[in-house]
Order: sequence, then structure tokens, then C-alpha cells
Amino acid sequence: MKNIVKIALISSAACLALVACAKKQQPQTDPAAEAAPAAAAQDSASAAMTQAQADSLAAEQARLEAERLEAERARLEALINQIMSEDVYFDFDRSELTEKAKELLAQVGELLLKEKRFTITIEGHTDARGTEDYNFTLGAKRAMKVKEFLAAYGIENSRMESVSYGKEAPKAQGETEEAYSQNRRANFRVNIKQ
Amino acid sequence: MRENLKRFVWGLVLALACVFPQGVLASIDTIAVDVGISVFKTTPIGIVPFEEKPGIDWIEERPHQILTRDANLSGRFDVVASEKFNLALFSRSKAKHYMTGKVEPTADGRLAVDCYLYVSQSKTLLLGERYTVPQKELRRAMHAFFDKVIYQLWGERGVASTRIAYVSKIDGVKQVVVSDYDGFHRSQITRDSTISMMPVWTRGNKGLVYVNFKTNRPRLYTKNFGRPEKPLFEQFDQTYSPAVNPVNGELLFSSSKDGKTDLYIGNMETGKARKFAYLKSNQTSPAWSPYATEVLFTSDRGGGPQIFVMGKDGSDLRRVTFMGRYNERASWSPEGDRIAYTSMDNGKMNIYTCALDGSDIVQLTNNAGNNEHPTWSPDGKLIAFSSNRSGTYQIYIMRKDGSNVTRITQAGENTSPTWSWFYDENKPQPKEGSK
Repeated sequence: MKNIVKIALISSAACLALVACAKKQQPQTDPAAEAAPAAAAQDSASAAMTQAQADSLAAEQARLEAERLEAERARLEALINQIMSEDVYFDFDRSELTEKAKELLAQVGELLLKEKRFTITIEGHTDARGTEDYNFTLGAKRAMKVKEFLAAYGIENSRMESVSYGKEAPKAQGETEEAYSQNRRANFRVNIKQ
Repeated sequence: MRENLKRFVWGLVLALACVFPQGVLASIDTIAVDVGISVFKTTPIGIVPFEEKPGIDWIEERPHQILTRDANLSGRFDVVASEKFNLALFSRSKAKHYMTGKVEPTADGRLAVDCYLYVSQSKTLLLGERYTVPQKELRRAMHAFFDKVIYQLWGERGVASTRIAYVSKIDGVKQVVVSDYDGFHRSQITRDSTISMMPVWTRGNKGLVYVNFKTNRPRLYTKNFGRPEKPLFEQFDQTYSPAVNPVNGELLFSSSKDGKTDLYIGNMETGKARKFAYLKSNQTSPAWSPYATEVLFTSDRGGGPQIFVMGKDGSDLRRVTFMGRYNERASWSPEGDRIAYTSMDNGKMNIYTCALDGSDIVQLTNNAGNNEHPTWSPDGKLIAFSSNRSGTYQIYIMRKDGSNVTRITQAGENTSPTWSWFYDENKPQPKEGSK
């Protein structure tokens, strides 16, 4: 739920930024349109034509821009969703990355290499067993292992933050091994660098 | 054998239900009897119901009922209950002393309670106290009297006036709450939409230090009661596991950065802090010795968590626990001779104590769900802990040998108890009207 809100915020911020750019472009075309009447003031009809053409051109440009923006927003959203869905799982009281985890992380690494504006927060979690205190240290170790892997993949450390939630934010409820294994994980939050 | 015991206990409960028909069992639930040999030396003490003037509309328990619960919880007494003074019974039960009193309504709707401690044989008055309190303060007045009785008979401070801080899930969010040691007079301390946890008491019981997640990471905060909250040591990334130095009030805590967890020590007033120990392993769950000369902590240098101890200057590091793969969160008994800790076996958490060299291990909880987070009463007689033996996590008190397990929270989900320090004897709990 929180993630959805975040995506909505990010995408609306991106929209705003692009709309702002589109607006800035308009004054650039305006001086040309105004210069034309000054040069050939007698041919007001053709000037009006030019004006209308310029207007429709600008409108067309804005529409294309909006479409491009929407496509970009959808692409980013898909990427963010993909990264946020890539939970990495661990064995009990372990912080080593499994082969499966490494495969997933390689995909995340690829995405981050392509999309330089993304910064991520890596959250380390544990299952419900054990003390709060030790589980904080275990979550921190897990988040760090993920960070180290991505750093080795070529992601700048400045784009990554790691934080431990210990056993405080379980994904699955219950005292079954199934729930435990779902909760021994690291997951990602994505932000877009301004 | 155990069946018989159970039957006996239920018989006792039924008998009690007949004697005290209304409302008593709702709050008194010392039913769980732990097997294991009790090493406790308890002293029999007589308790006789208080003489009552008519005109009191009782909503709380009666004075003698409150004293009985205090005596049962204290780990110091065996209660010899009697409807009236009965020298034959008291002599036979070796109850050298007994408590009783008088209670009457005052004109302004309060209660005037006279409390007495007598020598059984001679009926000599050893201690007499008068409390004039509203009925809702009666419980605390009786706790104050009970602690005076302990002081009179044992020359030691009792814990009936102490409190416990713990974590309670309120509307789905973990919040820090405080209650009297017996679970009554609960009040909520944090009111955040984010998790609060790991409360510990600052010196003099002026306030608490705890962890909150409002910045999307664990971070320490402190709050004096009735005052605004203050973030602590913001120069560190993720901070938790607070432990207040009992001598100078400095805070030991864990901080995790880049996957490494170290212990730091800092001054909560100035905000300055430094690394406590330079070790390759991760360290967490620090705990001070009673006079703050040494520190217990957990290290993962062997893979899983094990308990270690070292001097407060970082010297003389040695390992305490060797049995089992998961030993965590040690706390030092106020008498200094033993530690209590939590151990995990087959995924179940249980509470143990051992001597400081790791010998003489005693398992205190067994076969009853998870049992975690032991915290010593300041007199060292009792241990509070949280357990999900009833299905949900609740707070329990037991004697330090694991006997006499008593549940003190009833509803919701309650975890991570931390016992307060002693309350100042010069400041009796009822704010008005005592003596």
C-alpha cells in the first residue's frame, strides 16, 4: 500500500517536471511568431496563418510530450515495481546469499545500471524467532550482504542505503516455517534522484 | 504427581472462589505452578482482613487482598490467611508476624486506612501507618505499606512500589506503556503511528529510553514522564538495545552501520558518544553489572549469538555461555552473582540463569510456549518476562528459581518488560494524604 502511494507520488512528480519543461518551451517559439508580423506587417492574413500553424504545432508537441511522459512514467513504474517485488530470501540465522538470491540481485543490478536516477534503500528482515536485539543485527547483516553484491555489480555505494527492521515488519504472519521463510528477506524501496 | 498437584491447585482455586466470591479471581491468577525444586526461603506471615466501618462502596480489592497478592508475588512470604486473629493457627504455621488494619470512609468520600504489623505471640505493634486516599489510590497505598513491612522485617527495600515498562500493541502498533509492578495503573507513554519498542528506565525512574521507527529506521529516543520526547545520538545511523549505567546514567547502546553492529557509550545530555569496544564481531544487547564495573553483551563471533562479559574499559573479555547455539540478551542480577538470559532450542525460546563463569545453569521456563526478555526486580528476588504460553504474548512474574509464575497483563499483546529501579522511599506512591 505504502509502495503504491510512493509510486503515485514519484510519477506525479515526474509529470509535473515534464509539464514544467513543456511550458518553458513555448516562449521559445513565441518570439519567432512575434518577429514575423514585425517583418511583414502588411500581410496580416499570412501572419495569422503562421500564428495558427505555430499554435497547432505547439499543441501537437505538447501532446507528444505528454505521451512520451506517460510512457516514461509507465516504464519507470514497471521498473520500480519489478525491483520492489524482488525480495531476496535467506536461511535461518544466515546472511549469506543463496544462488537464487544472486540471480535475482543480478537482475536488480541490471535495472539499476540502466536507470541511473534510481537510488535504493535495502531493508533487511528476520523471522519472528529470536530476540528483538539480535534480529536487528541479523537484519543489518542481510541488508549489507545485498548492498555488497550490488556494489560488486557496479552500483555506486552513494545510491544505496541499508537499514535493518529486525523482526518488526513481517511480510507473512504466523508461526509456520512457510511464514518464517517468507520473512527472512531483504527487500527494496526505490527513490528517484532529483 | 503433577496431576495431583493440578487437582490440588484447582481445589484451592475453588475454595478461594467460595471464600472471596466477587471479583477477586478476575485479577488474581497465580495458578501456574512450575515443577522444579524451589530454592526459595520464604517466611510465613499471617494476614487478617481489615476491620471495616460501614458505608464503603467497594470497587477495588480489599486491603488484605492487595497485601495478600503483594506477599505472594514478593517471593519472601508464605501467606497464612485467617478470617480473624488466630494464635493457634499462626503458631502452628510458624507465622511470627501478621498484618491487619482498619478502614473507614471519610466525610469527603475517601478511605482512611490504618495498617498494622504485629508480632503474633505478643501482639506487639511493630509498624503502624495511616493512609487517607481515594479508593483508586488504595492499591498503591497498600503497596507502600507492604514495602515498609519488608523493610521492617528484612531490612531491605521491597518492590511493591516499583513499576514495569513494556511494549503493548495498541490499534495494531507497538507502543511503550508503564504499569505498577502488579500490572495495575497502566498508562501509555508513546502515541506514534510507528513502532516503539525496547523501553528501559532512566536513573531515578524519571523517564524512559526506547526505540522508535518514525525515521524509517530504529533510533533511540528519551522521554521524561510528562515531558516531550528527545531524539538521542542522531549522529548514528541505526541505534537500539539501550542500557542505562546504574551509577552515572550514561547510555550503552548498539548501532548498526553498513551491516556491522557495535556498542557505543554516550552521554544523553550532551549527545556525545564513542565506540565502547573495538571488536571484529557484531555486538548487541549490552547490560551493566550492578555497580557498572562490567558489561554483559551478545556477540556473534562464533556464528550464532553467545553471551560475553568484559570490563567497562574493554578489558578482560571472556565468554559466558557455551551450551546451545543461541544464547542472547543477558541481564545481571542485582545481587551480582548470576545472569538471566534467553536461549533458543528447536525454535523455542526459554529463560535460563547461570553463574558468571557460565556454570550452574538453571532452566526456569519449560514446555510453555516461548518465554523471553527476562528482567530482574531491583531486589533480585523476581524475574519478569514475556510469554505466549496462553496463545498471545503477555507479561509474567516469577521467582528467580522459576516458581510461582503469575500473569500480570490480561488483554492484547504485551512484550519486552523492563523493571524500574527502586522508587525513592521518601516519596510514597500516593501523591496526597499518606500518613
